[in-house]
Amino acid sequence: MGYDLEDLFRLVQKPGRYTGGELNSIIKNKEEIEVRFAFCFPDLYEVGMSHLGMKLLYGLLNERQDIWCERVFMPDTDMEELMRENSIRLFSLESRDEINTFDFIGFTLQYELSYTAVLNMLELSGLPLRTADRQDNHPLVIGGGPCVCNPEPVAGFFDLFVLGEGEEVILEIIDLYRRHKDKGYKKAAFLHDAAQIEGVYVPSLYEPDYNRDGTIKSVTPLDGAPPKVRKRIIKDLNTSYYPDKFVVPFIDIVHDRAMSEIFRGCIRGCRFCQAGFIYRPVREKSPETINAQSRALCESTGYEEFSLSSLSTGDYSEIERLIPMLLDWAERKQTNISLPSLRIDGFSEELAQKLNVLRRSGLTFAPEAGTQRLRDAINKNISEEEILETARKAFSSGWTAVKLYFMMGLPTETMEDVAGIADLGQKIVDCYYANPVKPKGKGVSVSVSVSCFVPKPFTPFQWEPQDTVEILEQKQKHLRASITTRKITLNRHDASTSFLEGVFARGDRRLCGVIEEAFRRGCKRDAWPEHFNIGTWLSVMADLNIEPPFYANRRRDYDEIFPWDHLDYGINKSFLIDENRKAHQSITTPHCRIACSGCGAAVWKGGVCVDERN
Amino acid sequence: MKEIRIFFRKCGRAKYISHLDLMRTMTRAVRRAGIPVWYTQGFNKHPYITFAAPLSLGFEGLTESMDIKLIQDIGMEDIVADMNSVLPSGIEVYSAAEPVMKAGDIEKAIYKLTFSIRLKDFAAFIEQDSITAEKRTKKGGLRLIELKPFIEQANISENEDGSAVMEVTLPCGSTQTINPLLIVSVCNKFFADKGLQSHIFCDVLRLDLLDGQGNSFK
Repeated sequence: MGYDLEDLFRLVQKPGRYTGGELNSIIKNKEEIEVRFAFCFPDLYEVGMSHLGMKLLYGLLNERQDIWCERVFMPDTDMEELMRENSIRLFSLESRDEINTFDFIGFTLQYELSYTAVLNMLELSGLPLRTADRQDNHPLVIGGGPCVCNPEPVAGFFDLFVLGEGEEVILEIIDLYRRHKDKGYKKAAFLHDAAQIEGVYVPSLYEPDYNRDGTIKSVTPLDGAPPKVRKRIIKDLNTSYYPDKFVVPFIDIVHDRAMSEIFRGCIRGCRFCQAGFIYRPVREKSPETINAQSRALCESTGYEEFSLSSLSTGDYSEIERLIPMLLDWAERKQTNISLPSLRIDGFSEELAQKLNVLRRSGLTFAPEAGTQRLRDAINKNISEEEILETARKAFSSGWTAVKLYFMMGLPTETMEDVAGIADLGQKIVDCYYANPVKPKGKGVSVSVSVSCFVPKPFTPFQWEPQDTVEILEQKQKHLRASITTRKITLNRHDASTSFLEGVFARGDRRLCGVIEEAFRRGCKRDAWPEHFNIGTWLSVMADLNIEPPFYANRRRDYDEIFPWDHLDYGINKSFLIDENRKAHQSITTPHCRIACSGCGAAVWKGGVCVDERN
Repeated sequence: MKEIRIFFRKCGRAKYISHLDLMRTMTRAVRRAGIPVWYTQGFNKHPYITFAAPLSLGFEGLTESMDIKLIQDIGMEDIVADMNSVLPSGIEVYSAAEPVMKAGDIEKAIYKLTFSIRLKDFAAFIEQDSITAEKRTKKGGLRLIELKPFIEQANISENEDGSAVMEVTLPCGSTQTINPLLIVSVCNKFFADKGLQSHIFCDVLRLDLLDGQGNSFK
């Protein structure tokens, strides 16, 4: 006798992940719906529900009477096992209907290691994995998110990708779909027309050809598809849609709070950071907009905390005007404001005190590299003196713990730079003991987290070889040995995870077969350390004659054609080459508000590109 | 400052809200409803809310309650209406009043258990002379508990679809607590030993909470 869904809820851990019914979740009458959209996040509920993009598109799509957007997450292992045993297919949280009957299945691709989770969710839905095997009666499988700037390793599984910001283009796609549905929907005809929408990339309409050395020779558009697909952006964030309600989960999720997006993009241009380039240009919301949106969200959710979200919150140009506006009502309503990714140095002491910044978030720094030379090479414009000065301030106001984030394997890095990480940690420890008013009987704790650098498309480092796992491990050992105090705790990332990420990040379509085969051999949850198995991946690649160093550890020539060259994120290759050269000479580039470096994002005539510079 | 006890039902999809999650849900609901509640004055200020008797994950309850403190006078009917306008489906407030008893007065709970087994098959289980369950003690050991007296006192009937229903009163207080799932697990073991393969599920509905004299918790 098989179990039904209701039985499964009683057998699994944390049924709240699957039951739905949360406050502000949206239930509609199926009879009145023309287009059903399953928004899939290829990770657990707790992770997916913390994602702002999902909340935004969920609200936006459900504003439309004819569309019902529902949420779908990756089940945990216990639930998946029970679903498979009892032939229960992947269902949405709102209606609990199987998603293989929907019109659209949309995945957000936030990190490369979620690719096999996407395949697992397609399989749990009972759908063919390959776009070529899905027919007119199957849902359209579409993808968006940062990984879509090089979606080639998963190109074979998706019908189309949305490049850039999805708010406008998603509705254009759905409108086109409705027109096709009215006259008799045929997948091929729809995709042909969809490829004409700016921001839509239909991978099956592009045919890559390879050189003998394995690099790309050419990518040919078929069926009238445009030779280059340009990403879409929202020009004015003050007038674009923002949800006034969030679904409020019952169970504890990773970021359980309201979130106000205060700007998109980043002025900094750190050379390792993909987000710093693909979200250009910087576009800010006005303090009035942010204030109204934050307040509406807190009132509709009852959240006791909201965060100001962006890539670098301290760079918001009107922060000194915004914070008092927010505090005016937040204090009365016992609501906390949290500021992630904050550079505390750019903050007046009065504001920092008011916000209780130190109490809540602790003191976190991302120097990224241990020496000034390397920080200059990666264009991380922060000096050692700035770091130490802030640490001094924090220590004298009673703080005793500091977190530092670094990367290892950055281009031009030497063992000296690696040891520099330990030196910087030591200097912060010394700062603490040099402080005359330090709390009695309390030691300092400096936590140093070191991740492994992965070169990404559309960054100045897209030509650079990634350090091999062996070199990364040597560097980790060297760092370990360079730390001589027990006041510093070292957290290292697994190098082989970063290696696989590196393969996918700059991979091409020949990796589709690798991902599918690894999935068949049991890789489903690569983003979860306890399930990640590099051995399986290496043996799959060996069996399919794919050499991972070709993707991860190879230096590319400036004139090589990349698998993502037919995608246009508004960043000129000549600018990136220039930046790459400057990196090797340790020359920094000023940020967007100081001077325009001519990256190319000005074509949108929006945000910082048209604002007056100070 | 006035202490108020809010009574509510927790049914349907809401039964999968764990106790900890319910605290969060109610804290936010009180904030959304704009009820003038007293906040704790400590390091992390939050609305003061306490629950008399936590309900296990997966159980439904008809007489659940929580206590808050008001810093401003507000009508009891307004509390009921304001809360209901902001609660997720499955949680429904039905009254608010000044507390009569203390949470510590609760000694027993009445549960309605609906088993996924037909009454005629179920009989073999309840007709045993002794029905013992192992219960973990706080020290980590195991203790045997005789459930037969409770089951003997229980009201056992048949649902429309023929499945067994048991209305049972169990200790639920500071001296002793018996989770109704103990009955379900010994029941499962009993039928598994007899070679019955499929797992027996049980819907648990808490009907009422009683003090030592058998009065409903108020």
